[in-house]
Order: sequence, then C-alpha cells, then structure tokens
Amino acid sequence: MTELAQSLIDALALGGLYALIAIGVTLIYTVMGMMNFAQGEFIMLPAYALYVLAGVPFAVAVGGALATGIAIAVLAERVAFRPVRNADLSAQLVTSLAVATILQSLVSATVDGRAQSVATPALVSESSQVGSLSVPNLEILTLALTAIVLGGLGWLLYRTRIGLEMRAAAENFEMARLLGVRANRVIAVAFAISGALAATVGVLIVMQTGQVSPTMGLTPVLVGFIAVVIGGFGRISGAVIGGLALGALSSLLGTYLPDGLVPFRDAIVFSLPVAILIVRPQGLLGAASGEARI
Amino acid sequence: MNGRGLRSPASAAVSLIVPLVLVALTAAVGASGTPAFEETVTLILCNLIVVLGLQVFIGNSGVYSFGQLGFAASGAYVAALLTIPAAFTALQTPELPKLISDAELTPLLSTLIAGAASGLLALVVGWPLMRTSTLAIPISTFAFLIVAYNVLANWDEVTGGSSGLVSIPRTTDLTSAALWASVAVVVALAFKRSASGYRLQATREDEVAARSIGIGLMRERLIAFTISGVLCGIGGALAVHQSGVLSPTTFYFAASVTTLTMLVVGGARSVLGAVVGTLAVATVNELLRNFEEGASVLGLFSIGETPGLAAIGLGLILLVAMVALPEGLSRGREAGEIESVRRRLPARPASPSPAAATRPAGEASGRLRAEAISLAFSGLHVLRGVDLELPPGEALGLIGPNGAGKTTLVNVLSGFQAPDAGRVVLGDVEVTRWSPSRLARAGLGRTFQAALPFAGLSVIESVAVGAMGVGIGRRRAVGIAANVLDRLGLSEQAQRPAGLQPPGNQRLLGIARALATAPRHLLLDEPAAGLNDEERRELAAILRGVIHDFGCAILLIEHDMNLVMDLCSRVQVLDDGRTVVVGNPEEVQAHPAVVEAYLGTSYLEDAHA
Repeated sequence: MTELAQSLIDALALGGLYALIAIGVTLIYTVMGMMNFAQGEFIMLPAYALYVLAGVPFAVAVGGALATGIAIAVLAERVAFRPVRNADLSAQLVTSLAVATILQSLVSATVDGRAQSVATPALVSESSQVGSLSVPNLEILTLALTAIVLGGLGWLLYRTRIGLEMRAAAENFEMARLLGVRANRVIAVAFAISGALAATVGVLIVMQTGQVSPTMGLTPVLVGFIAVVIGGFGRISGAVIGGLALGALSSLLGTYLPDGLVPFRDAIVFSLPVAILIVRPQGLLGAASGEARI
Repeated sequence: MNGRGLRSPASAAVSLIVPLVLVALTAAVGASGTPAFEETVTLILCNLIVVLGLQVFIGNSGVYSFGQLGFAASGAYVAALLTIPAAFTALQTPELPKLISDAELTPLLSTLIAGAASGLLALVVGWPLMRTSTLAIPISTFAFLIVAYNVLANWDEVTGGSSGLVSIPRTTDLTSAALWASVAVVVALAFKRSASGYRLQATREDEVAARSIGIGLMRERLIAFTISGVLCGIGGALAVHQSGVLSPTTFYFAASVTTLTMLVVGGARSVLGAVVGTLAVATVNELLRNFEEGASVLGLFSIGETPGLAAIGLGLILLVAMVALPEGLSRGREAGEIESVRRRLPARPASPSPAAATRPAGEASGRLRAEAISLAFSGLHVLRGVDLELPPGEALGLIGPNGAGKTTLVNVLSGFQAPDAGRVVLGDVEVTRWSPSRLARAGLGRTFQAALPFAGLSVIESVAVGAMGVGIGRRRAVGIAANVLDRLGLSEQAQRPAGLQPPGNQRLLGIARALATAPRHLLLDEPAAGLNDEERRELAAILRGVIHDFGCAILLIEHDMNLVMDLCSRVQVLDDGRTVVVGNPEEVQAHPAVVEAYLGTSYLEDAHA
C-alpha cells in the first residue's frame, strides 16, 4: 500500500514536470501554430544560468535563470521566428531546429560540450514525512509549482485582457488581428510565459540531476512534443493531461519494469504514444476536426 | 508511345546529367587532393546518399521526418556486424548469434543487405507512423530517432552499447562512394518521375485535392518512406565502411541537423537541390572546421574539442536559409526545369492520346443515389433526410440559398464527410463510408469551391496525376492529360507551373484534374464562381462537351441560374437541409416555394424585364 502510494506520488511529480514542459510547447503552438524545437534550449540556457551563477544565493540564481529563460524566448521570437510566422508548419519547425542548434553549440563553444555539475541547496535533496510516506522535497516542490502555474495560467487566460487576446488569437489568428488584437504583443507575451515555464523546468531538472549539459533539453522537448500530440494539439488542458499521462507512464515503468528492460524505458515511453496516434490521429482530447477548407 | 513524357526528353536528360556531373566533379576534386582530403570528400559523398534519401521522402511528401538518420544508423550497424572479422566480433559483441558474428561479407554484399534491412525497418516503422497525421509525423519520427538511439546505446550484447564498434573494414573509397551516389541520384529522380512519386507530390501540394482524385495518402507516404530508408541505410553502411568506427551518436541528432540543413539549403523539392545543398553546406562546414583548427593552432583562443564554430555556422546557415531562401538554392527545380535552361531546349509537347478519358464499360457504373441523408454539426442540422439521384449521363443542377447544405451533400457523396444517417449507393454497391480516394477510384470525381491547384507541378503534371491517382499507368496518364488539356484549351500552358496560372485557368485545371480520373459521375462545386462572363461562356461550352463526349453524369452546384438552366436536364432545390423540389428547369422555375425560398421576386422581375 505504502509502496503503491509512493510510486503514485512519484508518477504525479514526474507527470507535473512533463505537464509544465508541455504547457510551454502548447502556448507557442496556440498563438503561432509552431512546434518549437528550441523549447529544449529555453530549458537548457536557464539551467546554465544556475551554473554560471554558482556562489550567489540560490534564490538569486533562480531569479537569474527565470530572467534568462524569458529573455532568450523573447529574443528568439523577435530575431528568428517572426520572419517565418506565416510559413508552413514544416518551415517553422526547421527554423526552430536551427535556433536550437545555434543555442546548443554556442553553449558547447563557450562553456563546454560535456556535462558540468551544479550545486543545489541541500533542502531539495531531503525528504519530508507525510503521514507514513517519506516524500522527496523536490517532488513536493514540483507538484506545488505545477499547481501554481496552472492556477496562474488560468487566471491570466480567463481574467485578463491579454489572456482574452491570446485565446482569441488561438481560435483564429487573422480574425483576432482584424478585431484589434495586438499580434506582436500577444505572441511576445506567449513566448515570455513559455520561456519562464521552461526556466522553471530547467531549474527543477538541475535540482534533480545536479548537472547541466548542452543537450539536456533534447529529451524534455521530445517529451513536450509527444505530450502535446497525445493531448490533442493546441489545448492547455490536453497538454496537462498528456504530460501527466506520459510522466506517470515513465515513472511507473521505471518502478515496475523488469531489470533487463530498464535501460530501454525511454524507448518504450516514446513508442507507446505512437500507438495512441494510430487509433486516434487527433490525440486523446483533440476533436475529430472536419475538413476545414471545403 | 515513345518520346511522350511529362517533361520534354531534353529537359529530362539535363535534369539527370547535371547532378551526375556534379557528383563526378566532386570525386575528381577529391582525387586531386591529399589522402586526408580524399577521405573527407568520400564521406561527403556518403552523406549525399543519405541526403538523397531524405529528399525522396521529405521533398516529395512535403512532410519533415526527423527520423531518417535512424535508418542510416541501422544500415551502418548491419554492415558493421556483417563485416567485422570474427575475432574482433567475439571481443566486442560476444553474445551475437554465431551466424552474424562469423560473417565476413564483402563490402558490396554488406552494403546491399544494409540497404535492404533499413528498407524493411522503414517499412515496419513507417506502417504505423504514416498513419499519424501530417502534423504528428515530424514528432513521431523524431521519437523514432530517440528510440533508435536508446536501443543502440543500451543493447550492449548486439551493438556494443554506448562505446560502439571498431575494427570495421574500411573499404569505401572515393570511386565506390561516387558510384553509389550516382545510383542514388538516379533512384531519387526515377522515383520523383514515377506514378507513385507524382501521386505523393500531389499530396504535398494539396492533401484534400489529392484524396479527391483517388490518391491514398498513407500508402504513397509509406512507399517513399521505405525507399528513403533503403538509401539512408546504404549511405550509413558506406560511411561506416569509410570511417571504420561506429557509435550510437554517429547518426544521431547532430547528423540529423547536418543532413536536414543540406537538403533545406539546396531546396528539398528537387534532386538537384539535394546535391547542391550537400556540396555547399559541406564546403562551408569544412572551411569553418579548418578555421577552427587554424585558430587553435595559432593559439589565439582555444575553442576546445567540441566543433563549436562549425555547428554554430551550420545552425546559422539553416536559419538564414529558412528565412531568406525557403525554397533553397535550386528553388525546388531540377536542372532541366530552370527557366533559362528550359528556353534553350527543344520542346516536344505531349501529344493527346486517341483514347478519350472514359472508363471502360462494365466498371462500377450505374446511378449515384443518396437516400435520406442526415447530418448535424454539433446540433446544427445541415442535412435533414435528403434524397438525390444521378443517373448515368445526366446533368443535375443542385441549387439553393447559401447554407442550404449543397456543399455538405457533395462532401457526403464524395466521402469527405460521413453522414449521421442515410446511405449513398453507387450502382448496386453501398459506398456510404468509403474514403474519398476509394470513391474516386470507383469513378466518382469532384471539384472544390476553391481551385486547390497542385501549384508546384506543371499544368500537364497536375492533370496527369489525376489519371495516375486512379491507378492509370504513367504513359497513358500523360496521353489522357494531353487530351483533356486539349479539350479545355490549355495545351499551350502544358509545361508551365500550375501555380502561376490565372484564376480562370486554375478553375479549369481543377475540372481537368477530375476529368483525368475518368469519372462516371462528376460533382462540380460552383465551377463558375469568380469567372468573368467570357470565361463563363467558355465553361458552359466545355461542360456541355464533357457531358456529350466523356459520357459522365454531372452534379452541378451553381449560383449562376443561366448556366444551370442551360446545362441541366433536371434541377434539385435544397433549402435548410431539405429538398424543396426536383424537376425539369421549367417546373422548378415555376415552383412557388422556389420563387420564395431562393430565386426571390427580384429574379422573376429580372426574368420578365
């Protein structure tokens, strides 16, 4: 019983992390129809901010990481993504791949290509006693942050003017624009939020693994993509559910997979969602869209 | 039949010869340098084979796959395991089956087997992946790449795990790489010019229109995905026979970005683009790498062991290409299609086939019938029990106010929309849940309110692909297309890009494309919309000819009453999802409900005026 509860909390915590990644990917997808490969680098660069800011109080370093995430996301949008805003999905995807490559190799060239270790506060590696369970503080932090982000995002999207504009842009970008939605602003805000989310994820990953590397964003971005796909494109709720499902699957496989297969956990985690797509090409939550153009 | 092609023979020859000459020149340059330089050029040619593999799938389908390097990896591992001397195999992968560990095949055989194995893997992986949506394929193929890496890096007993394999025979030299690259050029061009290649290009230009002419999206994508897998596998095998070492990272993310950059910079849609892009990017890459080494040798600043500068350069090239040159250096054209080249070549237009585009008698014919079709979109009733009957050879007009459900009914008839209730029957066969492409192959053609041109194809290609879509062979398809273009007065435009035609011609092209499928029943959704009076008159004459000569029944949705009354022997009026009246034009025009619901009093006044 305890073991089951423990693994459920593990699953929920990993699912929460994955949901945060997926929300970041979805936000950008909804406002400009782009699957952003560079989201992984929006995670990686803030993590390096922690590495560079080693020695300053950790809270300050986290602030630096957040600022880095927001700055790099907004900058990438302005410099690279705005020119291809009206290009097709494939072109945008390849453009974001280019941005990802540039950011990754910049870090390789200026810091190092290999992984570097980062010291994190002892508190996060300890556990708290919750009833009969001993829950790692990091999992509590992840779950709390997921809840805060979801609440904050809900407030922003449904209680503020910019949120209304973002939802309108997500429904029909051109129409929203004609009705006075400030397109550049909406997209910039979406990137800023997405960057902040990515930074949060980056910090959580560093706390978990204690290290940073130039390619550390690769697996998370794939996780985010797959969560978005199985959740149904362009829905925050779908991203959350897709992220939770993928995280839970990964976590439970880690616990219950026979030893010989554990190294192949990622292979299994990334293969299963494809099975969902074959049955439901529109994803778990996506509506069966009609033929929009005829 | 000889000499009749979609491209003039001279243009086709130039398109083949130019990339082959580029490969030969590259090899010649490589042979003139130091041994180290020769090795570099050999690897670039291996790279080119992989890029050509990417071109076959990405270029023709327009869908990006990030997983093709997984097939290069599988080919490389297969070739390595089949050729590493038994003594070394025992050390590296002790648990491999004896048959494989003892194998010391010749490089030619190992390369061929590697290609076949990768092709098989692509077929098996592609079968589910190609069923996912256009949006999901880039992501699911990316997932495949990571899965492949994960397996290669952890399956220690077979792959040597993350440390990889060494002592692989280094047998690929400049000549063999150049020969294989030439073969890959020929394969990629042959596929592009095959019926399957054209069908796939049609899906790239417009998925919906492609389905309406009988093209099975998944099938065509899977064919190209498999051929791409074969080429990537061969390229991977040759590369590993060049370098002699192999690790799971050899064909992983960095290699994926490099090859994709090469393809995009050159222009994904053409084989010439794949060649030019590979050579251009490889040249810049080598220069940057030399500069890097030079910089560290000079001791100005050490960039470290990681190839930082070259990778940043690669990313910047890709970014600039996407923003400033989205069609690539070749602009998606083959050598023989470049305008300045084309003008100097003798043009030999395709001649019309004496065989008219009619379907042999006895095939699924008979009447098209809809019975009590009902359909609602989230509570909004669009069709409420509509019947419709279209006997062979008849022209039926379908009219009604906007929102009456006319287009939705055509969508149901042509398989684009499943009804909530009711049946569609073609001859004696119920076809209610058939896919659009299956219905097209059964003789049901349609056009759309928008022209939906295959903009990247030439005029004659975009029509011939209609015939290919329903399974007619390439040569006959060309004759049929020439015939149809002739009747529609578009022969002059045959070799011009379809996307550059004026709107009136594009509309005609939509009809021509549907006619090339040799339909028994043709559903036309507002064919005259947006045409001027002159064009309307021409259209009426053409449609009359179609009914007369092609012998196919026509369902005509049209707001131009003169056109409807002129062409149709019967008219059916829809309003609010119900049939108001069916009858001959005079009856319908006189029907009081029609006057009220659709034509309005002003129409009567106009008529009397």
